[in-house]
Amino acid sequence: MERDLQSLIRHKSILVMRWFFVIVQIGIFGLAVSRLIVVMPNYYNYYAMGVIVMTMYSVAIFTGYEIYDEADDGFVEYLLSLPITRRELVLGRSLAGGLRSFIFMSPIIAVFLLIIGVLDPLKVLTALVALYGFAFGVSGLSITLAVGLKSGDRFDIIMGALDAFIVRLSTALYPQAFMPGPIATLSMFNPLSYATDLFRWSLNFDIRFLANPAVALIVLVIFLMTFNFAGVMIYERNLEGGSWR
Amino acid sequence: MGLTKKYGSTLAVDHLNLEVQEGEILGLLGPNGAGKSSALMMLSTIIKPTEGTAEVGGFDVRKNPYEARELIGIAFQEAKLLWMNTPWEILNWHAKVCGVKNPRQAAEAILKELNLWDARKKLALELSGGMKKRVEIAKVLVQRPKVAIVDEPTAQIDISGKYQIWEKIRSLRDEGSTIILATNELSEADRLADRVAIMCHGRLRICDTPRNLKDSIPGGDVIDIRFETPVENRAVSELKGIAGIVDLALVKPTHMRIYLNRAEKMLPKIMQLLSTLHVGINSINMKEPSLDDVFFHYTGTILDETQATPGVPSP
Repeated sequence: MERDLQSLIRHKSILVMRWFFVIVQIGIFGLAVSRLIVVMPNYYNYYAMGVIVMTMYSVAIFTGYEIYDEADDGFVEYLLSLPITRRELVLGRSLAGGLRSFIFMSPIIAVFLLIIGVLDPLKVLTALVALYGFAFGVSGLSITLAVGLKSGDRFDIIMGALDAFIVRLSTALYPQAFMPGPIATLSMFNPLSYATDLFRWSLNFDIRFLANPAVALIVLVIFLMTFNFAGVMIYERNLEGGSWR
Repeated sequence: MGLTKKYGSTLAVDHLNLEVQEGEILGLLGPNGAGKSSALMMLSTIIKPTEGTAEVGGFDVRKNPYEARELIGIAFQEAKLLWMNTPWEILNWHAKVCGVKNPRQAAEAILKELNLWDARKKLALELSGGMKKRVEIAKVLVQRPKVAIVDEPTAQIDISGKYQIWEKIRSLRDEGSTIILATNELSEADRLADRVAIMCHGRLRICDTPRNLKDSIPGGDVIDIRFETPVENRAVSELKGIAGIVDLALVKPTHMRIYLNRAEKMLPKIMQLLSTLHVGINSINMKEPSLDDVFFHYTGTILDETQATPGVPSP
Protein backbone atom coordinates (compact mmCIF):
# COMPACT_ATOMS: atom_id res chain seq x y z
CA MET A 1 0.00 0.00 0.00
CA GLU A 2 2.81 2.35 0.93
CA ARG A 3 4.38 1.80 -2.47
CA ASP A 4 1.13 2.40 -4.38
CA LEU A 5 0.47 5.61 -2.49
CA GLN A 6 3.99 6.83 -3.19
CA SER A 7 3.35 6.36 -6.90
CA LEU A 8 0.21 8.52 -6.63
CA ILE A 9 2.14 11.37 -5.05
CA ARG A 10 4.84 11.14 -7.73
CA HIS A 11 2.35 11.67 -10.54
CA LYS A 12 1.38 15.19 -9.50
CA SER A 13 0.77 16.45 -13.04
CA ILE A 14 -1.72 13.65 -13.73
CA LEU A 15 -3.46 14.41 -10.45
CA VAL A 16 -3.86 18.09 -11.28
CA MET A 17 -5.03 17.31 -14.81
CA ARG A 18 -7.70 14.93 -13.58
CA TRP A 19 -8.86 17.32 -10.87
CA PHE A 20 -9.17 19.99 -13.51
CA PHE A 21 -11.29 17.66 -15.63
CA VAL A 22 -13.65 16.83 -12.74
CA ILE A 23 -13.98 20.48 -11.75
CA VAL A 24 -14.84 21.51 -15.31
CA GLN A 25 -17.28 18.62 -15.64
CA ILE A 26 -19.11 19.47 -12.42
CA GLY A 27 -18.63 23.24 -12.51
CA ILE A 28 -19.51 23.95 -16.14
CA PHE A 29 -21.20 20.99 -17.80
CA GLY A 30 -23.11 20.04 -14.65
CA LEU A 31 -24.44 23.53 -14.12
CA ALA A 32 -25.44 23.92 -17.75
CA VAL A 33 -27.14 20.57 -18.13
CA SER A 34 -28.98 20.85 -14.81
CA ARG A 35 -30.77 23.93 -16.16
CA LEU A 36 -32.17 21.78 -18.95
CA ILE A 37 -33.46 19.10 -16.60
CA VAL A 38 -36.71 20.29 -15.13
CA VAL A 39 -38.48 17.01 -14.44
CA MET A 40 -36.12 16.13 -11.60
CA PRO A 41 -35.56 18.34 -8.59
CA ASN A 42 -31.94 19.22 -7.87
CA TYR A 43 -30.43 17.38 -10.83
CA TYR A 44 -27.20 19.29 -10.36
CA ASN A 45 -26.45 17.48 -7.09
CA TYR A 46 -27.51 14.17 -8.63
CA TYR A 47 -25.13 14.73 -11.54
CA ALA A 48 -22.20 15.94 -9.41
CA MET A 49 -22.47 12.94 -7.11
CA GLY A 50 -22.53 10.65 -10.13
CA VAL A 51 -19.42 12.28 -11.61
CA ILE A 52 -17.56 11.85 -8.31
CA VAL A 53 -18.30 8.11 -8.22
CA MET A 54 -17.53 7.74 -11.94
CA THR A 55 -14.17 9.40 -11.44
CA MET A 56 -13.45 7.10 -8.51
CA TYR A 57 -14.13 4.22 -10.90
CA SER A 58 -11.79 5.51 -13.58
CA VAL A 59 -8.95 6.07 -11.08
CA ALA A 60 -9.39 2.71 -9.35
CA ILE A 61 -9.32 0.89 -12.69
CA PHE A 62 -5.68 1.99 -13.13
CA THR A 63 -4.54 -0.73 -10.73
CA GLY A 64 -4.87 -3.21 -13.61
CA TYR A 65 -2.81 -1.07 -15.99
CA GLU A 66 -0.08 -0.92 -13.38
CA ILE A 67 0.07 -4.69 -13.31
CA TYR A 68 0.92 -4.67 -17.02
CA ASP A 69 3.58 -2.02 -16.49
CA GLU A 70 5.03 -4.12 -13.70
CA ALA A 71 4.96 -7.23 -15.86
CA ASP A 72 6.85 -5.33 -18.59
CA ASP A 73 9.48 -4.25 -16.06
CA GLY A 74 9.63 -7.78 -14.60
CA PHE A 75 8.55 -6.26 -11.33
CA VAL A 76 5.75 -8.82 -10.85
CA GLU A 77 8.40 -11.48 -10.28
CA TYR A 78 9.97 -9.36 -7.57
CA LEU A 79 6.60 -8.93 -5.85
CA LEU A 80 5.98 -12.67 -6.05
CA SER A 81 9.34 -13.36 -4.41
CA LEU A 82 8.57 -11.28 -1.32
CA PRO A 83 7.61 -12.97 1.95
CA ILE A 84 3.97 -12.01 1.72
CA THR A 85 1.04 -14.25 0.88
CA ARG A 86 -0.68 -13.92 -2.50
CA ARG A 87 -3.85 -12.93 -0.67
CA GLU A 88 -2.04 -10.10 1.10
CA LEU A 89 -0.47 -9.04 -2.16
CA VAL A 90 -3.74 -8.81 -4.11
CA LEU A 91 -5.81 -7.41 -1.27
CA GLY A 92 -3.04 -4.94 -0.45
CA ARG A 93 -3.07 -3.72 -4.03
CA SER A 94 -6.86 -3.53 -4.12
CA LEU A 95 -7.03 -1.67 -0.84
CA ALA A 96 -4.30 0.68 -2.03
CA GLY A 97 -6.02 1.15 -5.39
CA GLY A 98 -9.22 2.07 -3.55
CA LEU A 99 -7.42 4.32 -1.12
CA ARG A 100 -5.54 6.00 -3.93
CA SER A 101 -8.71 6.93 -5.80
CA PHE A 102 -10.22 8.00 -2.50
CA ILE A 103 -7.27 10.29 -1.70
CA PHE A 104 -7.33 11.57 -5.26
CA MET A 105 -10.98 12.57 -4.98
CA SER A 106 -10.95 13.72 -1.36
CA PRO A 107 -10.30 17.45 -2.02
CA ILE A 108 -13.18 17.54 -4.52
CA ILE A 109 -15.47 15.56 -2.21
CA ALA A 110 -14.62 17.90 0.69
CA VAL A 111 -15.43 21.02 -1.35
CA PHE A 112 -18.62 19.41 -2.68
CA LEU A 113 -19.81 18.50 0.82
CA LEU A 114 -19.19 22.07 1.95
CA ILE A 115 -21.12 23.45 -1.03
CA ILE A 116 -24.16 21.22 -0.53
CA GLY A 117 -23.94 21.73 3.24
CA VAL A 118 -23.87 18.10 4.36
CA LEU A 119 -21.63 18.16 7.42
CA ASP A 120 -23.25 15.50 9.62
CA PRO A 121 -20.27 13.23 10.52
CA LEU A 122 -22.32 10.02 10.35
CA LYS A 123 -23.68 10.83 6.90
CA VAL A 124 -20.30 11.92 5.64
CA LEU A 125 -18.75 8.73 7.01
CA THR A 126 -21.41 6.55 5.36
CA ALA A 127 -20.87 8.33 2.05
CA LEU A 128 -17.12 7.88 2.27
CA VAL A 129 -17.44 4.20 3.18
CA ALA A 130 -19.69 3.66 0.16
CA LEU A 131 -17.16 5.38 -2.10
CA TYR A 132 -14.19 3.51 -0.68
CA GLY A 133 -15.98 0.15 -0.83
CA PHE A 134 -16.78 0.73 -4.46
CA ALA A 135 -13.24 1.79 -5.36
CA PHE A 136 -11.86 -1.24 -3.52
CA GLY A 137 -14.15 -3.50 -5.55
CA VAL A 138 -13.21 -1.80 -8.83
CA SER A 139 -9.51 -2.30 -8.05
CA GLY A 140 -10.23 -5.98 -7.47
CA LEU A 141 -12.14 -6.14 -10.77
CA SER A 142 -9.27 -4.44 -12.55
CA ILE A 143 -6.70 -6.85 -11.10
CA THR A 144 -8.88 -9.85 -11.96
CA LEU A 145 -9.29 -8.76 -15.58
CA ALA A 146 -5.66 -7.70 -15.99
CA VAL A 147 -4.28 -10.98 -14.71
CA GLY A 148 -7.00 -13.07 -16.34
CA LEU A 149 -6.66 -11.58 -19.82
CA LYS A 150 -2.84 -11.80 -19.89
CA SER A 151 -2.66 -9.27 -22.74
CA GLY A 152 -2.33 -5.53 -22.41
CA ASP A 153 -4.13 -4.93 -25.72
CA ARG A 154 -7.08 -7.13 -24.80
CA PHE A 155 -7.25 -5.46 -21.39
CA ASP A 156 -7.28 -2.03 -23.04
CA ILE A 157 -10.16 -2.99 -25.32
CA ILE A 158 -12.19 -4.65 -22.56
CA MET A 159 -11.66 -1.75 -20.18
CA GLY A 160 -12.59 0.76 -22.86
CA ALA A 161 -15.82 -1.12 -23.59
CA LEU A 162 -16.52 -1.68 -19.93
CA ASP A 163 -15.97 1.98 -19.16
CA ALA A 164 -18.41 2.99 -21.89
CA PHE A 165 -21.10 0.53 -20.81
CA ILE A 166 -20.67 0.60 -17.07
CA VAL A 167 -21.23 4.38 -16.99
CA ARG A 168 -24.04 4.53 -19.56
CA LEU A 169 -25.84 1.49 -18.21
CA SER A 170 -25.88 2.84 -14.68
CA THR A 171 -27.67 5.43 -12.62
CA ALA A 172 -24.50 7.53 -12.41
CA LEU A 173 -25.85 10.28 -14.68
CA TYR A 174 -29.60 9.64 -14.89
CA PRO A 175 -32.09 7.83 -12.66
CA GLN A 176 -33.50 4.44 -13.56
CA ALA A 177 -37.00 5.86 -13.90
CA PHE A 178 -35.96 7.83 -16.99
CA MET A 179 -34.19 4.97 -18.75
CA PRO A 180 -35.67 2.87 -21.58
CA GLY A 181 -36.88 -0.54 -20.30
CA PRO A 182 -33.96 -2.86 -21.23
CA ILE A 183 -31.37 -0.30 -20.15
CA ALA A 184 -33.14 0.15 -16.82
CA THR A 185 -33.03 -3.62 -16.33
CA LEU A 186 -29.32 -3.79 -17.15
CA SER A 187 -28.56 -0.93 -14.79
CA MET A 188 -29.88 -3.10 -11.95
CA PHE A 189 -26.90 -5.42 -12.45
CA ASN A 190 -24.38 -2.63 -12.41
CA PRO A 191 -22.38 -2.00 -9.21
CA LEU A 192 -21.82 1.62 -10.27
CA SER A 193 -25.58 2.19 -9.97
CA TYR A 194 -25.64 0.94 -6.41
CA ALA A 195 -22.47 2.77 -5.39
CA THR A 196 -23.73 6.11 -6.69
CA ASP A 197 -27.18 5.60 -5.19
CA LEU A 198 -25.72 4.65 -1.82
CA PHE A 199 -23.49 7.72 -1.95
CA ARG A 200 -26.46 9.94 -2.81
CA TRP A 201 -28.63 8.38 -0.12
CA SER A 202 -25.91 9.07 2.47
CA LEU A 203 -25.93 12.72 1.38
CA ASN A 204 -29.71 13.15 1.76
CA PHE A 205 -30.69 12.92 -1.89
CA ASP A 206 -34.37 12.26 -2.59
CA ILE A 207 -34.81 8.50 -2.06
CA ARG A 208 -37.55 8.26 -4.71
CA PHE A 209 -34.86 8.39 -7.37
CA LEU A 210 -32.52 5.89 -5.74
CA ALA A 211 -32.16 2.15 -5.25
CA ASN A 212 -32.97 0.70 -1.86
CA PRO A 213 -29.88 1.55 0.28
CA ALA A 214 -29.87 -1.86 2.02
CA VAL A 215 -29.88 -3.62 -1.35
CA ALA A 216 -27.21 -1.22 -2.59
CA LEU A 217 -25.01 -2.02 0.38
CA ILE A 218 -25.42 -5.78 -0.09
CA VAL A 219 -24.63 -5.54 -3.82
CA LEU A 220 -21.55 -3.46 -3.09
CA VAL A 221 -20.26 -5.94 -0.52
CA ILE A 222 -20.88 -8.88 -2.88
CA PHE A 223 -19.14 -6.97 -5.68
CA LEU A 224 -16.00 -6.17 -3.75
CA MET A 225 -15.77 -9.64 -2.21
CA THR A 226 -16.32 -11.46 -5.50
CA PHE A 227 -13.71 -9.60 -7.49
CA ASN A 228 -11.09 -9.50 -4.80
CA PHE A 229 -11.49 -13.23 -4.19
CA ALA A 230 -11.35 -13.88 -7.95
CA GLY A 231 -8.29 -11.62 -8.15
CA VAL A 232 -6.44 -13.69 -5.54
CA MET A 233 -7.34 -16.96 -7.30
CA ILE A 234 -6.43 -15.84 -10.81
CA TYR A 235 -3.30 -14.00 -9.69
CA GLU A 236 -2.02 -17.16 -8.04
CA ARG A 237 -2.99 -19.46 -10.90
CA ASN A 238 -1.86 -17.36 -13.86
CA LEU A 239 1.23 -15.67 -12.50
CA GLU A 240 2.62 -18.62 -10.57
CA GLY A 241 1.76 -20.87 -13.48
CA GLY A 242 4.41 -18.91 -15.34
CA SER A 243 2.18 -18.26 -18.35
CA TRP A 244 3.00 -14.55 -18.12
CA ARG A 245 6.70 -15.12 -18.72
CA MET B 1 13.16 -33.68 -6.46
CA GLY B 2 12.11 -34.32 -10.04
CA LEU B 3 11.59 -30.58 -10.47
CA THR B 4 10.11 -29.96 -13.89
CA LYS B 5 8.81 -26.89 -15.67
CA LYS B 6 7.09 -26.79 -19.03
CA TYR B 7 5.98 -23.63 -20.84
CA GLY B 8 3.49 -25.00 -23.33
CA SER B 9 5.45 -27.62 -25.22
CA THR B 10 8.84 -26.23 -24.17
CA LEU B 11 10.55 -28.21 -21.45
CA ALA B 12 12.56 -25.64 -19.49
CA VAL B 13 13.56 -27.81 -16.54
CA ASP B 14 13.60 -31.57 -16.88
CA HIS B 15 13.33 -33.59 -13.65
CA LEU B 16 16.00 -31.71 -11.77
CA ASN B 17 17.36 -33.48 -8.70
CA LEU B 18 19.82 -31.38 -6.76
CA GLU B 19 20.63 -30.97 -3.09
CA VAL B 20 22.16 -27.74 -1.85
CA GLN B 21 23.99 -28.13 1.45
CA GLU B 22 23.42 -25.67 4.24
CA GLY B 23 26.03 -22.91 4.36
CA GLU B 24 27.57 -23.59 0.96
CA ILE B 25 27.84 -21.54 -2.18
CA LEU B 26 26.49 -23.63 -5.03
CA GLY B 27 27.40 -22.36 -8.47
CA LEU B 28 24.79 -23.10 -11.10
CA LEU B 29 26.39 -23.04 -14.52
CA GLY B 30 24.75 -23.24 -17.87
CA PRO B 31 24.23 -21.37 -21.11
CA ASN B 32 21.20 -19.14 -21.62
CA GLY B 33 18.13 -21.34 -21.91
CA ALA B 34 19.67 -24.11 -19.81
CA GLY B 35 16.82 -23.81 -17.30
CA LYS B 36 18.78 -22.10 -14.52
CA SER B 37 16.45 -19.14 -14.10
CA SER B 38 13.31 -21.30 -14.28
CA ALA B 39 14.74 -23.61 -11.62
CA LEU B 40 15.54 -20.64 -9.40
CA MET B 41 12.09 -19.14 -9.98
CA MET B 42 10.49 -22.40 -8.85
CA LEU B 43 12.75 -22.56 -5.85
CA SER B 44 11.79 -19.05 -4.83
CA THR B 45 8.06 -19.90 -5.36
CA ILE B 46 7.65 -17.27 -8.07
CA ILE B 47 6.43 -19.91 -10.50
CA LYS B 48 4.94 -23.30 -9.76
CA PRO B 49 6.59 -26.50 -10.94
CA THR B 50 4.73 -28.49 -13.58
CA GLU B 51 5.93 -31.68 -11.91
CA GLY B 52 7.99 -32.55 -8.87
CA THR B 53 8.81 -30.22 -6.05
CA ALA B 54 11.61 -28.69 -4.02
CA GLU B 55 12.20 -28.07 -0.36
CA VAL B 56 13.68 -24.94 1.13
CA GLY B 57 14.74 -25.28 4.76
CA GLY B 58 12.39 -28.24 5.06
CA PHE B 59 9.42 -26.40 3.54
CA ASP B 60 7.88 -27.76 0.37
CA VAL B 61 7.60 -24.99 -2.23
CA ARG B 62 4.24 -26.35 -3.36
CA LYS B 63 2.66 -27.04 0.02
CA ASN B 64 4.25 -24.29 2.10
CA PRO B 65 5.25 -21.59 -0.37
CA TYR B 66 4.93 -18.77 2.12
CA GLU B 67 7.18 -20.44 4.68
CA ALA B 68 9.73 -21.21 1.95
CA ARG B 69 9.56 -17.64 0.71
CA GLU B 70 10.31 -16.31 4.17
CA LEU B 71 13.69 -18.03 4.04
CA ILE B 72 14.63 -16.88 0.55
CA GLY B 73 16.03 -13.69 -0.89
CA ILE B 74 16.64 -13.35 -4.61
CA ALA B 75 18.70 -10.94 -6.67
CA PHE B 76 17.44 -11.24 -10.22
CA GLN B 77 19.53 -11.38 -13.36
CA GLU B 78 17.89 -8.20 -14.62
CA ALA B 79 17.45 -5.61 -11.87
CA LYS B 80 13.79 -5.50 -10.87
CA LEU B 81 13.44 -2.14 -9.22
CA LEU B 82 10.76 0.42 -8.63
CA TRP B 83 12.00 2.73 -11.36
CA MET B 84 10.36 5.83 -9.94
CA ASN B 85 11.92 5.27 -6.52
CA THR B 86 15.39 6.00 -5.25
CA PRO B 87 17.87 3.33 -4.06
CA TRP B 88 17.27 4.59 -0.52
CA GLU B 89 13.48 4.11 -0.81
CA ILE B 90 13.85 0.76 -2.58
CA LEU B 91 16.12 -0.72 0.08
CA ASN B 92 14.13 0.72 2.97
CA TRP B 93 10.90 -0.70 1.60
CA HIS B 94 12.46 -4.05 0.80
CA ALA B 95 13.99 -4.29 4.28
CA LYS B 96 10.66 -3.43 5.90
CA VAL B 97 8.70 -5.97 3.84
CA CYS B 98 11.29 -8.64 4.64
CA GLY B 99 11.08 -7.90 8.36
CA VAL B 100 14.64 -6.61 8.77
CA LYS B 101 15.27 -5.03 12.17
CA ASN B 102 16.30 -1.37 11.92
CA PRO B 103 15.65 -1.20 8.17
CA ARG B 104 16.96 2.35 7.81
CA GLN B 105 20.27 1.54 9.45
CA ALA B 106 20.62 -1.67 7.45
CA ALA B 107 19.85 0.14 4.19
CA GLU B 108 22.32 2.91 4.99
CA ALA B 109 25.10 0.43 5.78
CA ILE B 110 24.63 -1.55 2.56
CA LEU B 111 24.35 1.55 0.39
CA LYS B 112 27.65 2.78 1.80
CA GLU B 113 29.34 -0.61 1.45
CA LEU B 114 28.35 -0.87 -2.22
CA ASN B 115 29.33 2.72 -3.02
CA LEU B 116 25.72 3.68 -3.67
CA TRP B 117 25.38 6.24 -0.90
CA ASP B 118 26.00 9.24 -3.15
CA ALA B 119 23.37 7.96 -5.58
CA ARG B 120 20.80 7.19 -2.88
CA LYS B 121 18.50 10.06 -3.89
CA LYS B 122 18.57 9.45 -7.65
CA LEU B 123 15.64 7.74 -9.31
CA ALA B 124 16.40 4.11 -10.15
CA LEU B 125 15.73 4.76 -13.84
CA GLU B 126 18.50 7.38 -13.88
CA LEU B 127 21.14 4.96 -12.57
CA SER B 128 23.73 3.31 -14.81
CA GLY B 129 23.37 -0.41 -15.61
CA GLY B 130 26.06 -1.33 -13.10
CA MET B 131 24.47 0.75 -10.35
CA LYS B 132 21.04 -0.79 -10.98
CA LYS B 133 22.62 -4.21 -10.66
CA ARG B 134 24.29 -3.20 -7.40
CA VAL B 135 20.95 -2.02 -6.01
CA GLU B 136 19.52 -5.42 -6.98
CA ILE B 137 22.31 -7.20 -5.08
CA ALA B 138 21.90 -4.78 -2.19
CA LYS B 139 18.35 -6.08 -1.68
CA VAL B 140 19.67 -9.52 -0.81
CA LEU B 141 22.49 -8.11 1.29
CA VAL B 142 20.13 -5.95 3.31
CA GLN B 143 17.75 -8.88 3.78
CA ARG B 144 20.45 -11.42 4.79
CA PRO B 145 18.17 -14.37 4.02
CA LYS B 146 18.74 -17.95 5.08
CA VAL B 147 18.88 -18.92 1.41
CA ALA B 148 20.18 -16.30 -1.00
CA ILE B 149 19.72 -16.75 -4.72
CA VAL B 150 21.90 -14.54 -6.87
CA ASP B 151 21.43 -14.69 -10.61
CA GLU B 152 24.51 -13.41 -12.46
CA PRO B 153 25.40 -11.02 -9.65
CA THR B 154 28.28 -9.27 -11.37
CA ALA B 155 26.88 -8.90 -14.87
CA GLN B 156 27.40 -5.28 -16.06
CA ILE B 157 29.64 -4.54 -13.09
CA ASP B 158 33.21 -3.29 -13.44
CA ILE B 159 36.18 -5.31 -12.20
CA SER B 160 36.61 -3.59 -8.84
CA GLY B 161 32.87 -3.86 -8.28
CA LYS B 162 33.02 -7.58 -9.05
CA TYR B 163 35.63 -8.17 -6.37
CA GLN B 164 33.55 -6.16 -3.92
CA ILE B 165 30.40 -8.17 -4.63
CA TRP B 166 32.25 -11.48 -4.48
CA GLU B 167 33.54 -10.47 -1.08
CA LYS B 168 30.02 -9.60 0.06
CA ILE B 169 28.69 -12.93 -1.19
CA ARG B 170 31.42 -14.77 0.70
CA SER B 171 30.71 -12.87 3.89
CA LEU B 172 27.00 -13.60 3.50
CA ARG B 173 27.90 -17.29 3.34
CA ASP B 174 30.25 -16.91 6.33
CA GLU B 175 27.36 -15.43 8.33
CA GLY B 176 25.38 -18.62 7.72
CA SER B 177 23.43 -18.06 4.51
CA THR B 178 23.26 -20.76 1.88
CA ILE B 179 23.91 -19.24 -1.51
CA ILE B 180 22.86 -20.37 -4.96
CA LEU B 181 24.84 -18.50 -7.54
CA ALA B 182 23.66 -18.78 -11.13
CA THR B 183 26.27 -17.56 -13.53
CA ASN B 184 27.56 -17.69 -17.06
CA GLU B 185 31.01 -16.69 -15.88
CA LEU B 186 33.11 -19.74 -15.25
CA SER B 187 35.75 -17.75 -13.40
CA GLU B 188 33.10 -16.44 -11.04
CA ALA B 189 31.92 -19.95 -10.22
CA ASP B 190 35.52 -21.10 -9.82
CA ARG B 191 36.32 -18.32 -7.38
CA LEU B 192 33.17 -18.45 -5.29
CA ALA B 193 31.48 -21.80 -5.44
CA ASP B 194 32.05 -24.62 -2.98
CA ARG B 195 30.29 -26.89 -5.47
CA VAL B 196 29.31 -26.39 -9.07
CA ALA B 197 26.24 -27.80 -10.80
CA ILE B 198 26.17 -27.80 -14.58
CA MET B 199 22.84 -27.56 -16.34
CA CYS B 200 22.19 -27.95 -20.04
CA HIS B 201 18.87 -28.27 -21.91
CA GLY B 202 16.98 -28.26 -18.60
CA ARG B 203 18.92 -31.16 -17.17
CA LEU B 204 21.53 -31.41 -14.46
CA ARG B 205 24.68 -32.86 -16.00
CA ILE B 206 26.94 -33.02 -12.93
CA CYS B 207 27.39 -31.48 -9.52
CA ASP B 208 30.60 -31.58 -7.48
CA THR B 209 33.38 -29.41 -6.09
CA PRO B 210 35.39 -27.51 -8.74
CA ARG B 211 38.44 -29.61 -7.78
CA ASN B 212 36.63 -32.92 -8.25
CA LEU B 213 35.04 -31.73 -11.47
CA LYS B 214 38.43 -30.82 -12.89
CA ASP B 215 39.87 -34.13 -11.75
CA SER B 216 36.98 -35.97 -13.32
CA ILE B 217 38.19 -35.13 -16.82
CA PRO B 218 40.47 -38.00 -17.89
CA GLY B 219 43.87 -36.49 -18.63
CA GLY B 220 42.61 -33.04 -17.85
CA ASP B 221 45.88 -31.81 -16.33
CA VAL B 222 48.71 -30.93 -18.69
CA ILE B 223 52.45 -30.82 -18.01
CA ASP B 224 54.59 -29.14 -20.67
CA ILE B 225 58.29 -29.99 -20.47
CA ARG B 226 60.94 -28.32 -22.61
CA PHE B 227 64.25 -30.16 -22.85
CA GLU B 228 67.78 -28.89 -23.45
CA THR B 229 68.27 -31.49 -26.21
CA PRO B 230 65.86 -33.61 -28.27
CA VAL B 231 64.30 -36.22 -26.05
CA GLU B 232 65.19 -39.89 -26.63
CA ASN B 233 62.61 -42.59 -27.41
CA ARG B 234 63.61 -44.46 -24.26
CA ALA B 235 62.56 -41.54 -22.09
CA VAL B 236 59.25 -41.34 -23.93
CA SER B 237 58.45 -45.03 -23.53
CA GLU B 238 59.47 -45.07 -19.86
CA LEU B 239 57.31 -42.04 -19.14
CA LYS B 240 54.36 -43.71 -20.88
CA GLY B 241 54.81 -46.61 -18.50
CA ILE B 242 54.12 -44.47 -15.39
CA ALA B 243 50.70 -45.33 -14.02
CA GLY B 244 48.41 -42.34 -14.14
CA ILE B 245 49.72 -40.81 -17.34
CA VAL B 246 46.80 -40.84 -19.76
CA ASP B 247 48.60 -39.65 -22.89
CA LEU B 248 51.86 -38.13 -24.01
CA ALA B 249 52.79 -36.21 -27.13
CA LEU B 250 55.93 -34.71 -28.56
CA VAL B 251 55.03 -31.25 -29.77
CA LYS B 252 58.65 -30.77 -30.90
CA PRO B 253 61.69 -32.99 -30.33
CA THR B 254 62.52 -30.76 -27.35
CA HIS B 255 58.93 -30.19 -26.18
CA MET B 256 56.83 -32.88 -24.55
CA ARG B 257 53.20 -32.57 -23.48
CA ILE B 258 51.89 -35.03 -20.88
CA TYR B 259 48.15 -35.48 -20.21
CA LEU B 260 47.29 -36.84 -16.78
CA ASN B 261 45.25 -36.35 -13.61
CA ARG B 262 46.50 -34.84 -10.39
CA ALA B 263 49.61 -33.38 -12.01
CA GLU B 264 50.89 -31.97 -8.73
CA LYS B 265 51.11 -35.50 -7.28
CA MET B 266 52.58 -37.07 -10.41
CA LEU B 267 55.25 -34.46 -11.10
CA PRO B 268 57.83 -35.79 -8.55
CA LYS B 269 57.66 -39.26 -10.16
CA ILE B 270 58.19 -37.79 -13.63
CA MET B 271 61.08 -35.65 -12.45
CA GLN B 272 62.68 -38.62 -10.72
CA LEU B 273 62.54 -40.67 -13.91
CA LEU B 274 63.94 -37.88 -16.08
CA SER B 275 66.73 -37.32 -13.57
CA THR B 276 67.60 -41.02 -13.61
CA LEU B 277 67.81 -40.83 -17.42
CA HIS B 278 70.01 -37.69 -17.17
CA VAL B 279 67.65 -35.63 -19.33
CA GLY B 280 68.36 -31.90 -19.19
CA ILE B 281 65.26 -29.75 -18.62
CA ASN B 282 64.81 -26.13 -19.66
CA SER B 283 61.35 -25.47 -18.26
CA ILE B 284 58.29 -27.15 -16.80
CA ASN B 285 54.76 -25.80 -17.03
CA MET B 286 51.76 -27.27 -15.29
CA LYS B 287 48.17 -26.48 -16.22
CA GLU B 288 45.07 -27.82 -14.60
CA PRO B 289 41.81 -27.95 -16.55
CA SER B 290 39.56 -24.92 -16.21
CA LEU B 291 35.84 -25.03 -15.64
CA ASP B 292 35.64 -24.27 -19.37
CA ASP B 293 37.14 -27.69 -20.00
CA VAL B 294 34.79 -29.25 -17.44
CA PHE B 295 31.81 -27.56 -19.02
CA PHE B 296 32.84 -28.74 -22.47
CA HIS B 297 33.47 -32.26 -21.21
CA TYR B 298 29.99 -32.60 -19.69
CA THR B 299 27.89 -30.67 -22.16
CA GLY B 300 29.79 -30.98 -25.42
CA THR B 301 29.48 -27.21 -25.85
CA ILE B 302 31.42 -24.20 -24.70
CA LEU B 303 29.78 -21.37 -22.84
CA ASP B 304 29.28 -18.65 -25.41
CA GLU B 305 31.53 -15.77 -24.46
CA THR B 306 28.86 -13.32 -25.49
CA GLN B 307 26.65 -14.65 -22.74
CA ALA B 308 29.20 -13.86 -20.08
CA THR B 309 30.31 -10.42 -19.07
CA PRO B 310 33.88 -9.55 -19.82
CA GLY B 311 36.29 -8.92 -17.13
CA VAL B 312 38.20 -10.95 -14.69
CA PRO B 313 40.96 -13.38 -15.52
CA SER B 314 40.77 -16.94 -14.27
CA PRO B 315 42.41 -17.59 -10.93
